[in-house]
Amino acid sequence: MTVERAVLRVYRYNPERDEKPYYREYEVPVDKAQTLLDALFYIQENLDPTLGFRFFCRAAVCGSCAVKVNGISRLACKTPFKELVEKANGKPITVEPLNFLKPIRDLVVDHDQPFESLKKLQTWCEPKEPIPEKEYRIPPEEVKQYERPTNCILCFACYGSCEAVMDDPKYAGPYAFSRVYRYVVDSRVKEEHKREMVKNAMDVGDIWSCVQCQKCIYVCPKGVRPAEDIQNVRGIAAEYGFKDYPGVKKLQHFVDWIYATGQINRLSLPEEVYGVDPTPLINKFRERGAEVWEVPKPLPGLLEFRDLILEVMKEKKPHLDIDFHHVRRIDKRVEEVFNADVCTKITERFEEQREDFFTRFWKKLSEFFGTK
Amino acid sequence: MLEYDILIVGAGGAGLYAALWASQNPNLKVGVMTKVYPVRSHTGAAEGGINAALANVAEDSPEKHAFDTVKGSDYLADQDAVEIMTKMGPEIIYDIEHRGVPFSRLPDGRIAQRPFGGASFPRTCYAADRTGLVILHTLYDQTLKQGVEFLNEWFLLNVIHNGERVLGVTAWDIRNGGVHFIKAKAVILATGGHARMYWNRTSNALGNTGDGTAAVLRAGLPLKDMEFVQFHPTGLRKTGILITEGARGEGGYLINKDGERFMKKYAPEKMELAPRDIVARSIEREILEGRGCGEKGDYICLDLRHLGEKKLMERLPQTVEHARVYEGVDPVKEPIPIRPTAHYSMGGIDTDKYGQTEIKGLYAAGEAACISVHGANRLGGNSLLDILVFGKITAEHAAEYVVGVEHLPTEGGEYVKREEEFISSLMDKEPKEKLADLRREMGDVMASKVGIFREEKPMVEALERIRELKERAKSGLAVTDRSKRFNLNLIQTLEFLNLLDLAEVTALCAIERKESRGAHYRLDYPNRDDENYLKHSVVRRKEDGTLQHGWKEVVITKWQPQERKY
Repeated sequence: MTVERAVLRVYRYNPERDEKPYYREYEVPVDKAQTLLDALFYIQENLDPTLGFRFFCRAAVCGSCAVKVNGISRLACKTPFKELVEKANGKPITVEPLNFLKPIRDLVVDHDQPFESLKKLQTWCEPKEPIPEKEYRIPPEEVKQYERPTNCILCFACYGSCEAVMDDPKYAGPYAFSRVYRYVVDSRVKEEHKREMVKNAMDVGDIWSCVQCQKCIYVCPKGVRPAEDIQNVRGIAAEYGFKDYPGVKKLQHFVDWIYATGQINRLSLPEEVYGVDPTPLINKFRERGAEVWEVPKPLPGLLEFRDLILEVMKEKKPHLDIDFHHVRRIDKRVEEVFNADVCTKITERFEEQREDFFTRFWKKLSEFFGTK
Repeated sequence: MLEYDILIVGAGGAGLYAALWASQNPNLKVGVMTKVYPVRSHTGAAEGGINAALANVAEDSPEKHAFDTVKGSDYLADQDAVEIMTKMGPEIIYDIEHRGVPFSRLPDGRIAQRPFGGASFPRTCYAADRTGLVILHTLYDQTLKQGVEFLNEWFLLNVIHNGERVLGVTAWDIRNGGVHFIKAKAVILATGGHARMYWNRTSNALGNTGDGTAAVLRAGLPLKDMEFVQFHPTGLRKTGILITEGARGEGGYLINKDGERFMKKYAPEKMELAPRDIVARSIEREILEGRGCGEKGDYICLDLRHLGEKKLMERLPQTVEHARVYEGVDPVKEPIPIRPTAHYSMGGIDTDKYGQTEIKGLYAAGEAACISVHGANRLGGNSLLDILVFGKITAEHAAEYVVGVEHLPTEGGEYVKREEEFISSLMDKEPKEKLADLRREMGDVMASKVGIFREEKPMVEALERIRELKERAKSGLAVTDRSKRFNLNLIQTLEFLNLLDLAEVTALCAIERKESRGAHYRLDYPNRDDENYLKHSVVRRKEDGTLQHGWKEVVITKWQPQERKY
């Protein structure tokens, strides 16, 4: 009987001997390996004892064996080999070390730096005073909030796939912010320390560099959702009132403009966030005859309703630090915009749907007050 | 030369907790040496929970916890040590809770507790089914806070002592290659267990090779109760990967091919939640007597279907994942094929109740140590408690000890030279044997002859086979990779040699104990024999390389041995 064989194309590099990395192909009988890790063991035991890779628990809990398989970060011990072979459809399966980490040997890369980042971000518990004699009382719902991030095994699969790391070497990495989030939503942690961690996430970890590509969520072998945790930490940074960060300013712009008009204002965004004067840009658009404004005309009384909604939201979520003066300033600008000729067309379109809009709006509003 | 007041070897729960307590005194230089990054350690694989008499769910007390532990140990545990452990239980839980361990909670916000095998009350605190993982990671975060110094990816070679005091250790720097002597006034070995001697029939990580225990044997110091290896009842059929006892704690059934809940024959009262040794033997017996499931009848089923998807995903998410990935079975819809798997080493480095060996400044804690709190059989949920309690006790003891002593004058050159010569000898040998083959043979011999059911003749054969393997390794097992950097071939060879040494001791102790007690079950001596064997077995290696076997009294304080029934 012929045994089905698969070809593994494995990255090899021993800086002690090799001038540069190269790839070597190995044939592995498919029935000899349940997981990719088994396949690597097959190579090591039968074909080449010098292949370097990390492993320990072989049960997806220690985080040692993350590698890049056909370009995607995965835990070798949790990657079913047969599935991999079927998908490869006769082509070699390429196995490489994780991206962005210093090479040590073959598939082994240096994990010191990502561990070091945790130290820099200070992701740990400083217990809140007074420390109780027994345990802190924690509602089960709170535990749920950090259930997912505490699943993290620090395998750095997310780090090796991260678009932000590629562009910003200072960026700490998705796993690190999941850990920040985990401690920031833990009611046992001192408030001062939570602020410290969030500040570190921005100053040391460059959390605003995340482009929300969601790859970290896709590659995580433990179901952690770092991109979501990053968004949450960013929101918390705004709530904490860290106003001087471009990211927070951007968030504030989003909050202000969306509440005010239902959409962001792409032209004033650079000005509000980075202090860039938008006039030259606007003029350039106009010169080319582009429709510059996208903001619809508000209905009579809409702005008042909007203020009411903001009041309610503020009551419900006191940490949502809304600057009403700023909102007023926006209102003024919005009105100016509405009076400009360029948005007549949009307004017309809006008028057509006016009735429908009103019905929906009132429904939403009554729902909102109903739940209060 | 690296120099520490206290050097901790191993960075699992015991090592990290010891590091936290040892470094309480900022004047002490504390280092942690570990062959894998700390969070990789096998503590992270502990699933079900950690026992302590918090009495959050039912009336309970440290004394009741102690009694359950002593009874579970088949009266071989030292009762003074057990009392220390159970008494410290609640304060340890509160301490790690204050450090951030995300325990599962009761509706009123207190720590939830669930029933576990051999316990009279729901006493096991847990964080879903990844209790060890969150404890390990929380402790690691705390060591970062405390600025603990780590030597990551360093492999322990030998413990150096002068017959009275410890001098330090020799170690191999895995990443860069090279032997180092690390000087230390005190050394705490927290190097974990050695159930990998059963190779493919174990729940252990690939690196649970008893490196510290073997080093202690080579250093001429005693190991204790090495015949006692716990077989966990529920390992996955194909890989031995563990399905937590929590699965039965939550109400899972064990069924044979007739769909019968066979535990009613063996432990009618406790059923699936009888202690591990009893459940493991019951499963093995069902299989041996032809009531196993599947074509070959070589496994039993763990049925969780009646718990429902919601409860499974909430309480046992990892179990569901393991069954799906490693067995291709969805526990929501099908029973999980399981069979017992070598899981925990009750035996280990002989220490007193403070974790001290007979050499001053040399300590052991955690699974590497035999203090002994688990005796002949460990209760589920007691190992996480053990590692923390004795991690702390050894650290505090060592911290006190080192303040009063000076470093001994040695540069360690001679020790380094000896190790270098040994490693070169491994590389210069002509390769005649394959590591993978020898390792597999060792595992097969141990599993088939020194496993769950034991008998004189097969065990004597096993001992001979292990000694043969040692000879073959000595003459023909070479390290063919001569690179210094991340030389896996070297590390795996050294690990295998450690396992072989410990397998020899295990087989010898199992032959010498002519009775059945806890996890050590002999078909030829099916009863417990308190008159002759209510004793710890002790083995040390003499200078000529032969093993010397002896006995040591068990400490009994409150509980006289009774028949152990569940």
